[in-house]
Amino acid sequence: MLQALATTLVVASLYALLGAGYVLVYRSSRVLNLAQGDLLTLGGYFLFALAAAFPGAPAVSLPLAALASALTGVVVYLVLMRPMAGHPVFAAVLVTVTLGILLRAGIVFVFTDRTRHPLQNLGLTNPPRALPGGAVVSTFDLVMILTAATLFAGLFLFLRLSPLGIQMRAAGEHALLASQRGINFHGVFALSWALAAFAGGLAGMIYSSNVRLEPSLDVLGLRAFAVALVGGLDSLAGVLPAAVIVAAVEVLSIRYGNPLLSDVSPFLCLLVMLLIRPWGLFGTREELERV
Amino acid sequence: MSVLLELENVEVVYHHVATAVQGVSLSVPDRAIVALLGTNGAGKTTTLRAISGFLGGDNARVVAGRIAFRGETITGRPPHEIARRGLVLVPERDKVFETLTVQENLAALVPRGRRLVTRQQIFEYFPVLAERRRQLAGYLSGGERQMLALATALLCQPDMLLVDELSLGLAPVVVETLMRLVVRLRDELGLAVLLVEQNAAAALAVADAGYVLEHGRIVYDGSVQRLLVHEDIREFYLGVGHRADRKRYTDVKQYRRRRRWF
Amino acid sequence: MALGGGYFKTSHEADLAVVDTRLRRTALAVLVLALLVLPRVASSFVLDLASQAALAAIGALALNVLTGLAGQISLGHAGFLAAGAFTTAALVERGLASPLLTLPATALVGALLGLIVGIPSLRLKGLYLALGTLAMHHVVLYVAGEMQARAGGNTGFTIPPPALGSLVLRGTVGWYYALVLAAALVLVLVVNLQRSRAGRAWMAIRDRDVAAASVGIHVARYKLSAFVWSSVVTALAGTLFAYQRGFVSVEAFGFFLAIEYIAMIIIGGLGSALGAVLGAGLVTLLPYAIDAVVAALSPGAADYYIFPAKFGAFGLLMALFLVFEPLGLVGIWRRVRNWFLLWPFRHRPLRAS
Repeated sequence: MLQALATTLVVASLYALLGAGYVLVYRSSRVLNLAQGDLLTLGGYFLFALAAAFPGAPAVSLPLAALASALTGVVVYLVLMRPMAGHPVFAAVLVTVTLGILLRAGIVFVFTDRTRHPLQNLGLTNPPRALPGGAVVSTFDLVMILTAATLFAGLFLFLRLSPLGIQMRAAGEHALLASQRGINFHGVFALSWALAAFAGGLAGMIYSSNVRLEPSLDVLGLRAFAVALVGGLDSLAGVLPAAVIVAAVEVLSIRYGNPLLSDVSPFLCLLVMLLIRPWGLFGTREELERV
Repeated sequence: MSVLLELENVEVVYHHVATAVQGVSLSVPDRAIVALLGTNGAGKTTTLRAISGFLGGDNARVVAGRIAFRGETITGRPPHEIARRGLVLVPERDKVFETLTVQENLAALVPRGRRLVTRQQIFEYFPVLAERRRQLAGYLSGGERQMLALATALLCQPDMLLVDELSLGLAPVVVETLMRLVVRLRDELGLAVLLVEQNAAAALAVADAGYVLEHGRIVYDGSVQRLLVHEDIREFYLGVGHRADRKRYTDVKQYRRRRRWF
Repeated sequence: MALGGGYFKTSHEADLAVVDTRLRRTALAVLVLALLVLPRVASSFVLDLASQAALAAIGALALNVLTGLAGQISLGHAGFLAAGAFTTAALVERGLASPLLTLPATALVGALLGLIVGIPSLRLKGLYLALGTLAMHHVVLYVAGEMQARAGGNTGFTIPPPALGSLVLRGTVGWYYALVLAAALVLVLVVNLQRSRAGRAWMAIRDRDVAAASVGIHVARYKLSAFVWSSVVTALAGTLFAYQRGFVSVEAFGFFLAIEYIAMIIIGGLGSALGAVLGAGLVTLLPYAIDAVVAALSPGAADYYIFPAKFGAFGLLMALFLVFEPLGLVGIWRRVRNWFLLWPFRHRPLRAS
């Protein structure tokens, strides 16, 4: 029982990191970034490549990989999302899908689709830790939980209290008005994409050290978008309870159902949410359309 | 008196094919309040938007002419650059960030280096905002929103304000208060103001000079005294004076067409 | 269709006619002739390609009706194809392999599925609807996967070629004619739908469903009918797919297939039947074109380069169209045509094309 709780928290942390990425991008570009899973994979591969280049030096590889992920977010915004500014949302979402395709193709091209384990090159180990009460998790499981908690705390403080965070929220609400107030919203949006890619990259780095690294990890991203939707696409606060709920459903369906069911359970949560409360737990209700 | 804002023969086209304004030339001197009058669809908001900058996604473009602020050409620059030069727009609609509180709205801007107005002064000009500091801007009344919009524009430390339809949807008392405030801002802070208004009487009460825009062209301009004595302006914009023999708009001299024989 | 000048319509029928000018009639006749004669002159590889394109066109046309015409964004198209294919497989397992049984059964399953998938569209719009359909797609694949795990021996189902009495459909040429005929039928159906009352209702709903309701269009009924129509045709396409391949397995119907179909209507041009056909052709031919280019540039390139190259080129092409030409191939065609028709003017007057 306690083990199930611990596993749920770990899975929820992974989903929360990805969900934060979805929400950050949605609040700025009004788009669901369906390439978030591929940004996770990319983060893992950055770590793998840097660990191979600087073996045994995690203090170098880890920050550089995180930085590389963040920079990727900036590049993605400048090259792909900025030109899509006036286009309909549907087209912008499809552009993110194509981005995912391109990222995945690029990864397979450079690294082939063999399974990799960056941990070996990093020179770190992943020993299991016993929690009080008898549950067992791995070290990197704990790292995942800690990272998610720290990132969310940081994001809350940034968005609520810092001037740049307020500008980001303003630009996300109404880009033209923000621009008329002197805010260069392209810079602000690029920052939100950088943060989203950073969060996804961190998740990828931790997951690939914890479990394994292969190009097909982007399916995790697809499952996590259910979390973003259940919580409310524009609510960071909603990601946390949503991640716990979806993770709990998934862990329980592995225990009492079958593995195929656990694969589809996030989508079932998504469907239920869409039918009873489409704007999610804490999202803003879609404005009534004006005729 | 130096000229702060200058438009020369500006032409704005929507969707590549629809000309909204054409051949518009006007100038706003330093520390002056200039009114831009016109009915619906005359092109006033388009002119203001052209001055304050179109976003890339808008389907509008300045295709001819030149807009200069303090002698520097600003035609076609993005809005945030123009705001940072000291030319700030108070828009007609969508003027505040509704999901942010009043306090956060006052922080959601990038001021110029010049320290002209402090937060304290803003709360002196607009005491009601001080009371409603923590309220979500979406729940403010129309007059309060207009005040918040003005306040945020002032906190950008501008040299000149472009005010679009200040009086829209507001009670006459509130309009009067705001207009007097605009004069106060000009006197105390040295701001120039380009006031776009449908409510010609309110605008001409505070302006130094005015331009009249119709169908995208300037048809009349001059000092306020000159505008106030013109027959057509009195009849069609101010609603005073009524010559018994002019029954229709087309009877007015400017619009009479010479009969063509082919 | 707005033309440059010289074509004046004097009756309602003339205005509604699909093929209205002499040039178009001639072009159509030439096209039909070319299609009929193709098997005589082309290799079986080309015929196979054409058959694949025709089959893709059926799915693309159906998706275009749903997304381009009625404005209901659906990312779960592959789910309908899978539903059709797996219904056929299920019937074949029970010994009922005749197309007289599978086709109606598939249509029924498709209709039911379309109804179910369409119900969220009554409440959701835009992005949320797209995600809902995506979630539905995963659920359908889950069900199909369960079915395959239990009955199909884990790799998939084999489907015998369709037989009506003693007539058996097999061979490249036979399938070419069958699929091109089916595609032509669906194309005629779609073009007529566009001109019909349902088509106008769908377009009204696509543009402003609140306004459409206010002029008396029963929005719920038409939204559901768009889903049902689209899913029936797609499910039938899935059956044809199953018969032609002879093999059905859940791996063939992943998310990527849905993206392929979306790409077809985007690259072709949203809302246009011609666009759906052009897009289907381009997307079907693209992997082979890339194969040819790679073989020409670097013969003997490692296999594992080719797959990501195809994948990547496909993504790149879609991104380029989305960013630079959102109106797709049809948009390019119309711009070229307008340049010739409108010269020396540069722009068409402002009105919905």
